[in-house]
Amino acid sequence: MIFGCVQPIEFDVPPAESLVIVEGYISDQDEEYTVTISRAIPLSADSLKQPPVENATVRLYDDENNIEDFQEVSPGVYKTGGAIQGQVGKSYHIRIELEDGTIYESEPDLMKPVGNVEEIRYEFEARTEEQNFVNARKDVFNVYIDSDAGPGFGNYVRWRFKGTYRIVTNPELKVEVLPWSDLPRPIPRDCSGFRIAGHPSGSGYILVQERDCTCCECFVTQYEKAPQLSDDLLIADKQFNNVKVGEVAINNITFYDKYLVEVEQMSMTQTAFEFFKLIRIQKTEASNIFQPPSGELIGNVFPVNSDDRVLGLFWATATSKKTRFIQKSDIPYQLTPTETIPESCTVFFDHSTTVQPESWN
Amino acid sequence: MRTRWIPILWLCLIGNTLMAQNILDHMMNGSEQGRQLLEVLSEIADEEQASIFFLPRWIDGIQINKSYSSKSLGFMLEELFENTELDAVLMYPKVLVLIKDPTKDIQRREALISALMQGKKVETYEFGEPGSSSNQEVLIEGEIIDWTTGEELPFATVSVNDSLMSTASNDQGKFSLKLLAGSYVLRFNFLDYTEKVVDLHAFDNGKIYVELEKESTQLDEVVVQGERTQDLTKSKIGRTYLNVRDIKLAPAFLGEVDLVKQVQTLPGVTTVGEAATGFNVRGGSVDQNLILYDGMPVFNSSHVFGFLTTFIPEAVNDVSFYKGGIPANYGGRASSVLDIKSKDGDLNRWNANIGIGMITSKAMVDGPLKEGKTAMAASLRSTYSNWLVNAIRTDYADLSDSKVNFYDATLKLTHLVSDDTKLSFTGYSSKDAFSLEGDTTYRWHNLQVSVRLDHQFTPQLGSDFTLGHTVYGYNVDNEDPRQASRLSYQINLTSFQSAFHLDKAEHKLDFGWQLTHYRFQPGKLEPTSGNSNAANITMDNQYSIESAFYLNDEWELNDKLRLEGGLRVPMFFSFGPAEVFTYELGEVKQVSTITDTLSYKGGKLIKAYFGLEPRLSVNWEFASEASLKIGYNRIYQFLHLVTNTAAVTPVDIWQPSGYYFRPQRADQISAGLFKDFRDKAYGLSTEVFYKFIENQIDFKDGARLILNNHLETELLQGKGEAYGVETSVFKNQGKLTGSLSYTYSRSFRTIAGASTSESINKGERYPSSYDQPHIVNLGWKLAMSKRHFFTGNFTYHTGRPVTIPLAVFGYDNNSVAYFSGRNQYRIPDYHRLDLALVVEGNHNKRKKWKGTWVFSIYNAYARKNPYTIFFRTSRAGVPEPYQLSIVGTILPSVSYNLKLN
Repeated sequence: MIFGCVQPIEFDVPPAESLVIVEGYISDQDEEYTVTISRAIPLSADSLKQPPVENATVRLYDDENNIEDFQEVSPGVYKTGGAIQGQVGKSYHIRIELEDGTIYESEPDLMKPVGNVEEIRYEFEARTEEQNFVNARKDVFNVYIDSDAGPGFGNYVRWRFKGTYRIVTNPELKVEVLPWSDLPRPIPRDCSGFRIAGHPSGSGYILVQERDCTCCECFVTQYEKAPQLSDDLLIADKQFNNVKVGEVAINNITFYDKYLVEVEQMSMTQTAFEFFKLIRIQKTEASNIFQPPSGELIGNVFPVNSDDRVLGLFWATATSKKTRFIQKSDIPYQLTPTETIPESCTVFFDHSTTVQPESWN
Repeated sequence: MRTRWIPILWLCLIGNTLMAQNILDHMMNGSEQGRQLLEVLSEIADEEQASIFFLPRWIDGIQINKSYSSKSLGFMLEELFENTELDAVLMYPKVLVLIKDPTKDIQRREALISALMQGKKVETYEFGEPGSSSNQEVLIEGEIIDWTTGEELPFATVSVNDSLMSTASNDQGKFSLKLLAGSYVLRFNFLDYTEKVVDLHAFDNGKIYVELEKESTQLDEVVVQGERTQDLTKSKIGRTYLNVRDIKLAPAFLGEVDLVKQVQTLPGVTTVGEAATGFNVRGGSVDQNLILYDGMPVFNSSHVFGFLTTFIPEAVNDVSFYKGGIPANYGGRASSVLDIKSKDGDLNRWNANIGIGMITSKAMVDGPLKEGKTAMAASLRSTYSNWLVNAIRTDYADLSDSKVNFYDATLKLTHLVSDDTKLSFTGYSSKDAFSLEGDTTYRWHNLQVSVRLDHQFTPQLGSDFTLGHTVYGYNVDNEDPRQASRLSYQINLTSFQSAFHLDKAEHKLDFGWQLTHYRFQPGKLEPTSGNSNAANITMDNQYSIESAFYLNDEWELNDKLRLEGGLRVPMFFSFGPAEVFTYELGEVKQVSTITDTLSYKGGKLIKAYFGLEPRLSVNWEFASEASLKIGYNRIYQFLHLVTNTAAVTPVDIWQPSGYYFRPQRADQISAGLFKDFRDKAYGLSTEVFYKFIENQIDFKDGARLILNNHLETELLQGKGEAYGVETSVFKNQGKLTGSLSYTYSRSFRTIAGASTSESINKGERYPSSYDQPHIVNLGWKLAMSKRHFFTGNFTYHTGRPVTIPLAVFGYDNNSVAYFSGRNQYRIPDYHRLDLALVVEGNHNKRKKWKGTWVFSIYNAYARKNPYTIFFRTSRAGVPEPYQLSIVGTILPSVSYNLKLN
């Protein structure tokens, strides 16, 4: 007897695209500050391709009446030119005017001082996971930091964790299988520098390299799955000790070479903190299937001249960064050699670039 | 009327001489003093040559105790007949007729005849002789008990000469009647019992023991009286008395008769979804219901996440449900009281009852251990298999491969120490195991033992004392070898209650003292295998004491007006050993704002709360069969069920009030109009209520509740508010009986803290998870013959509010769902029709066994009602809502009950 059933449930919700998303921050670093404006997408969307909101006028204000306009550098991505540099103790906000005249404004957000990441440590942890009835190794390095909480504002701290590894692929070995032939036909990627030089009958294909490969070596960035925050940490003597800020999966891809860990300690106001906390809860709390652990995100960007739905956070943060390499030799055993990847590394890996990060060497 | 009266009199004719002009003017001379009226009258008749007609036995025994010298005969008779039914009427100047008001006699005679015609048993009681006492008014006291078990029957109705007056027994089965000396026919009724008729000749005070017999051969009679024997106009506001037999006749989910499901059909009671644990009363949460089993609280009343409740109807004697005007002897939960009393064993013979259903089987046996003195009753129910959950075949694998197992058992021993003293023992145990696919098993258990002593000091003063212990707990076992662990939670409580009942003229006083000691083990996680990675965490126990004094007075000012007022004084103490964190002032409470830890030694007081709870209920019968009722109650609640789902799961935590959590305080006012029509054949009731709750608890978005020793960082307190109107019509007599009710009610909360993160929905008012504005319930019972019933019910309610994700976006290279505000959307409306055909066995009482078949169809038109929404991760990596219908199709079932005598 069948009597239970599951079906998608329909709610009469406003179209996802009507919700405008604003993401951006200003830091105390000498850098271009970025604001991205886009539209949300429905829950059923296949990928995270959000429609950008183009041709908006975005303007940055500090609390001393300094103003700088953002320029749209790519669809929906707006950057400053360096006229204003963030300073601890000042408040910042932005004003956005869309093409249709809709205006959004963020509430001024105060840049609070930040403490330093004093030490990054890592520790090997053996883990297994059952895959097809076989226990597979899923070992990790747990990454910990000690840090100073900063001058009296340790209650609202975020640690942004970023990892980078190097990988080499073989885009010249890409082939396609033809239905009429037993022999796969090479289709070397252009960026590999190789081309097919000939195909003598009765034998294989001849590949020759004409240029250097521009898509064989990549640096792949891994981002944290959720913001790391200080709310559930005890502060002892203005110190955060042994805070686990991330995990690095150990396998023959992440450790093709060495692994670069970067931890950024960021100060923030309670408003920004609550926003990130809800995101963290959503991404990390053990989810109860009957009630996802989350609530309404509020942020600090609000409409000025309409009832349009907008969700955004433009926050001010002072940051301090520390990096550390994890060496392949720290793994207490030999990894199997990395399999050949016959594809351009920038295509094969998300968040990858062929540009070597400054801190790599 | 008079014409019907005359034929039944034997008239005496005394004298025929003629002397005075008007016999009533005959002057007395004082010689009458100390003589019988009969004698004096015949003398006067002789003297005056008048005729005086009367029936000798009317005035038999009337003595003239003083001298009426120089007073008239008329004056003397008037004085003698005062407060009697007698009167003197002058037909002619020399013809005097003594008459007796015939109304009562006629009523009595008619009542007697109709009872005899219906084949009712009539018992005769005679107290005193006519005229044997100078008392014009007599007091008849009595007790109504079950013929088989000797158990008292509370709230049974007693009617005098059918319509003269009526009363009800109190909760101890006792009643008292003040009558003018004379003869009466009393009728005793109780739900589910054969009516008993007593031919009472009351010329002196006396006591009556009325034994009512269950399960009449006159089945249709019982059906006609139905549930509404408690008449609408007289019952207290907000109280419903549930009829166990009606519960058994109603269509049941998988043929499993269920008490709480029946409660859910009452106006003002809702449930968040099919098979959801517990029920919500007038917009209150599940933990605001006080469920008592023989006086001890029950923390989790459900099997299999609420598919069934843990009480076997066969083991239950009576069930009272209060949702407003709650009397002062109950307290500690803000919304309602469900008071379940178990059945005593039969003192005279052995009975057995076997029930075979599709998912459970049950057996109940009761009988005398020592005849007339000591009895036992025991029941056991268990599932066959995992059939139930395995049948819930869903795409969602977590439910389809589940396993379920449970049992419940009761034992009751009663011993009559003397006529005035009864000692009883109740034991109750239930266990559940529910495993989701894979490695997680949820287990929960209830264990309860109590001893109760009932003692009657004087006919007016009775008492009962209960000492009991309850253990409720759950375990969540993870059997994955790498993380094998057990999470456990337990509440132990020991309670002593003393209650006194005093009947004093128009007052019925109840007073007493209740004391409960709680020990909570709020969470313990331990690895259960050698190579488990699970942490070993034991949270500190929490200790508290709850105590209350109460006084309640039921005051019958007159026939029309009844007042019930009371005061309850609850106290709650939270004490050590404990460690309490303090937080930076003005900052959001979170671990990083902890400034200090306060340590309390064992027994040291952490926080004390005390309150005053006035209770009031008024019942004014302003017209015939119509009444206006008003109720008010204030109740403090010291234990809070901490949950972040609308439907209770067995892993929810009860958090006592203490340093951070203030007790909830509910104030409710309700008023209703009630009208019976055509001698209670029809009834109409409408009730409005407004409820306000202070310190209502709710969780922060994303609250982490399990194994959290700083729950104050995850929970918020604010205000709750509910109001509504409940209207019902009843048809109580005839082959078709039933009721239709409609409720409009709302339930809101407002939680506005110092900052957004300490507020919900920015501090604005939002609907609670139990806000279901429109509710319709229709239930009927059609007696097709004495043994065949077609019953059914239809239910409709607005879908409950939920919080859902609306859209998805990327932030910091992660997909994030944008959720609506708390409870801003609603799941689809719920409606369902159930039908049942009940075939009862032969009603011959001499037959040793009786079987009952129940064929039922649940969800007759296969509505796919959402049980709940649940979430799957979408391709974009965010939760996407789906609805889970537990019963998405027609669900027929059959069950068989066998009763052996």
